[in-house]
Amino acid sequence: MIKLINVSFSYGEKNVLEDINLVFDKGVTVVLGPNGSGKTTLLKVAAGLYKPSRGKVLIGGVNIWDSPPETTIPIRRKIVYVHEKPILLRGTVLYNVSYGLKLRGSDTESSRRKAMEILRRFGIEDLAYRNSRELSTGQAQLVSIARALAVSPQYLLLDEPTSNLDKNRRAILEETIRNLSDTIVVVATHDRLFAEKFPRKIVRLENGKIVDRA
Amino acid sequence: MYSMSIFYDAIAIALRSLAISGLATLLASTWCVPIAVKLSGTRSRVGKAILGILNASIGLPTVIVGLVLYLFLSRAGPLGFLRLLYTPYAIVIGQSILVTPLLTFLMADSLSHLKDTILELAYSLGATRRQAILTLLRESLPHIISSMLVSFNRAVGELGVALMLGGNIRGLTRVMTTAIALEVEKGEFELALTLGGFLLLTTSFITLLIRALRWRK
Repeated sequence: MIKLINVSFSYGEKNVLEDINLVFDKGVTVVLGPNGSGKTTLLKVAAGLYKPSRGKVLIGGVNIWDSPPETTIPIRRKIVYVHEKPILLRGTVLYNVSYGLKLRGSDTESSRRKAMEILRRFGIEDLAYRNSRELSTGQAQLVSIARALAVSPQYLLLDEPTSNLDKNRRAILEETIRNLSDTIVVVATHDRLFAEKFPRKIVRLENGKIVDRA
Repeated sequence: MYSMSIFYDAIAIALRSLAISGLATLLASTWCVPIAVKLSGTRSRVGKAILGILNASIGLPTVIVGLVLYLFLSRAGPLGFLRLLYTPYAIVIGQSILVTPLLTFLMADSLSHLKDTILELAYSLGATRRQAILTLLRESLPHIISSMLVSFNRAVGELGVALMLGGNIRGLTRVMTTAIALEVEKGEFELALTLGGFLLLTTSFITLLIRALRWRK
C-alpha cells in the first residue's frame, strides 16, 4: 500500500498540496478534481517522483525519501506513473513498450515477446514497428499505458488516462483496469463519468486539499 | 596550369585537418557531455554562473588559447617534458580546449529542454540514476551530434591554435588553414584556393548535416 501522512507540497511560495492523509490500497482509487486541484502533484508525490515539502510517503511500509537507494530501487520498480501527456522515446512503439522491461534486466527477446503480448491486448499490435513520433495523441496515450502494464507493476498511477482517448479506447482501458486484480491502481481524473465506473473509492481534491472521500 | 600534385597535396592536408579536428571534437566530448548533463536546466547560482562563463568564452580568440597552451607545452613550460609542441597531438589538445565552451554550452542548452521530462519518465518506469542518464543521452543524441558538428566546424576553421601549437610542418602538422595562410604569404594561390574550396565544402557539408539533424528531431 501507499500511505501519505501529513503530506504537503509547494512550488516555491505556492502550496499545491496541503496536509494530505491518504492510503492507496488494493483495488482502484479515483482521485477526482478539477484542473489545477493538485491531482498530478499528488500522484507524482505518491509515485516517489516528487519529494514532499512536509510529511511522509510510505510505500510498502518504507519511507522512500529516508532510505538508501539499495532499498528504494526495488520498491520504485514496483510503481509506474503514467503521464497525462504521453511521453514516448525515440524509436519504435515496440522499443517503447519494452523499455521498462529492459530497465529491469529483461533480455531483448523476452521483452519483445512481452511487449507484443501487451500490444495485442490493447488491439494495437499493428503499431509495433511504427515510429513513436508518427502516432496520434490517442495512440501514444495507449502505448504509454501499455508500456506501464508491460512491467506488471504492483502500483499503477494513471494521470488523466482518458483525456486523449476515444470511446472505444476508453472501453479498452476501463476493461484493462478492471482486470488488474492484483494491482493497486490510482486514477487521477476530472472526468466524472469515468470516475463513476470505479465507485469503490473516490477521493475529491480541490485546491490541494481532500474535500471528500466516498 | 593546374598541376595534379597540388590537388593531391590539398587532399592530404584536408584529410589531416579533418582527422585532427575530428579527434579534437571527440576528445572534448568526453568531458563536455558529462558537464553538459550536470549543468543543463540547472537552478543553482553556481551552475548558472558557469553557464554564463561558458557562453562568454565561446568567442575566445584562438590565438589566446594558442598562446597560453604554447607557454604550457614549450620546453620551459610545465608540460614541456611531454614534448608535444609542434605535433598533431598539440593541435588536438588545443582545439579540444578551444571548442569546450561552445560544445558544453550548446549541449547543455539542448539537453535542458529534454532533461526534466526524460529523467522523470525514466524514473517513473523504474530506472536507476545511471539508466535514466543513459536514456537522456539516447534521446538527446541528435542534439549532441549537432552540437559536435558545430564545434567541429569551429575547430576545422581556426588558425591560431594550429599555427602556434602545430608550427605548420609539412606532412605533419600542416592543416587547411595554416597551409592557406602560408601559400597566400608566398603569393601561390593555386593550393590556397584549392584548400579554400575544400574548407568551404567541408563547413557547408557540416552545416547541411546539422540542418538535416535538426529537421529530423
